[in-house]
This record gives sequence, C-alpha cells and structure tokens, in this order.
Amino acid sequence: MKRAATLPARILWNAFFWTYERATWQYDLMVIAILAFVWLTPPDWLNDPMATGGGPVAWIRRLMMAD
Amino acid sequence: MTFTGLLGRMGMFPMQLIIDTCVRLRIHPNVLTLAGLVINGAAAGALALGHFVTAGFIMGIANIFDFIDGKVAHQLKAVSVFGGFWDSVIDRFSDIALFIGLIYLYSRLGRTDYVMITALAMMFAIMTSYTRARAESLIAKCKVGFMERPERIVLFLIGAFTNRMAAVMWVIGVLSVFTVADRIIYTYRELRDREQVVV
Repeated sequence: MKRAATLPARILWNAFFWTYERATWQYDLMVIAILAFVWLTPPDWLNDPMATGGGPVAWIRRLMMAD
Repeated sequence: MTFTGLLGRMGMFPMQLIIDTCVRLRIHPNVLTLAGLVINGAAAGALALGHFVTAGFIMGIANIFDFIDGKVAHQLKAVSVFGGFWDSVIDRFSDIALFIGLIYLYSRLGRTDYVMITALAMMFAIMTSYTRARAESLIAKCKVGFMERPERIVLFLIGAFTNRMAAVMWVIGVLSVFTVADRIIYTYRELRDREQVVV
C-alpha cells in the first residue's frame, strides 16, 4: 500500500530532480513529452505571437465533427 | 538503442566529414568557436525580423561550428585550458544573442508577455551554466538537470523550423528553472555530506 502511494511521487521527483544521461529510455520519454507539448499544444492556447490556429487539437475536433 | 541515441549516431556521419576537412585545413578550434558566434549573431538577426526558417538554417550552420570545435581541437592536439574557457564564454554569448533576437521581435510586436517569458528563459538558461560552473569550483561534478545547452539548441531549431517558438520558450523557461533548482539542491547535498564526513 505504502509502495503504491510513493511510486507516483517517486516518478515525479525523478522527473524533477533529473539525473539521467542522454540516450536512456527516461531521456527519450522526456523528449517525447516535450515534443508533444511543443507540437500538439494549439498556438492559440499559448497566445503565440507568431503562429495562430488550433493546431492538431483543432484538426482532430474538425475530423470528429465531420463524422 | 534509444531513438535519441540513433539520431545522434546518424548525425555523426556528416559531422565527421566536416571535422576531417577542418583538421586537413588545420583551422584552429578557437577560430571555429568564434565563427559559431558570428553565425549565431546572424541567426539572432533573422529571429529579430521574424524569419524563423532562415534563422533555423543559420542556427544549424552555427551549431555545426559549436559542435566540432572540441573534436577538431582533439584531432589537431590543440586542446588547451584557455580553449575550454573561450568555448564556454563564447557559448554564453551565442545563447544570449538568440534570446535577444526573440526579445527584439516580441517587443516590436508589442507582446510584453512574451518579452518577459523569453527574458526569464534567458536568465535561467544562463543560470543553468553559472550554477554548474560555480558548483564545480566547490565539488567534483554537478551534471544534473535536463535542460542543458544541446537541448536548448535543438529546441530552438524545432521552434524555428515548425514556427512553435512560443511553446519552445515555455519549455526552455520551465525546464531551466528545474535544472537550476536541481543543481542548487545537488550542490547543497554534496557539501552537507562532505561537512558531515569532516565533523
């Protein structure tokens, strides 16, 4: 029980207190998370001064509306 | 093998050709470092004008110089203490130049919010380097935290080529804050442990 409660906390702590080398699976996971944020977050949500639109989220919503 | 490791290996092949050429021409590594800064200055200019794709290409070229200077120094047997110092200092100027280019752009567009976000990202990016340099004057090594210079460069390139610089500034800013915090915590722990051993 105690282990289940501490696991998410440990994952969060390890993500925050980063000690992993490059070219490890943890590094790859972090890179994927960052790329997902950069490419999937609609520019409108961030009030991007140079890009507009809803990004991939808007495309998916449009696709779902078309069905 | 991880996918970032594979990408690194794939990129190493053309790099080796450039390194070999520089070694054959006996170009001094300090000159390569300086050339990287000058080209990064041009990239900053392109960012300031909002020409992100052009800036991306120029940054790509500049970072080839940044990447190969150390390797050329090794192959030419021109490794020196001053070379390491020169490289670190010029790298900071290159970093700051790119951020200033963006700050100029956002300020020209009247976007005070992104002027602040980019300025904060710049501050913590510089503090990332400073905390490590200062920590390593006290302890042997302080290589913790995710957002180091290679990550920042790749993110700048991604932001420029895909026009997602705002998201990139958020990522660099937030992760640089964590990296600085990691280095402070790590140094505190190392020094505390050392004091306990002494006592």
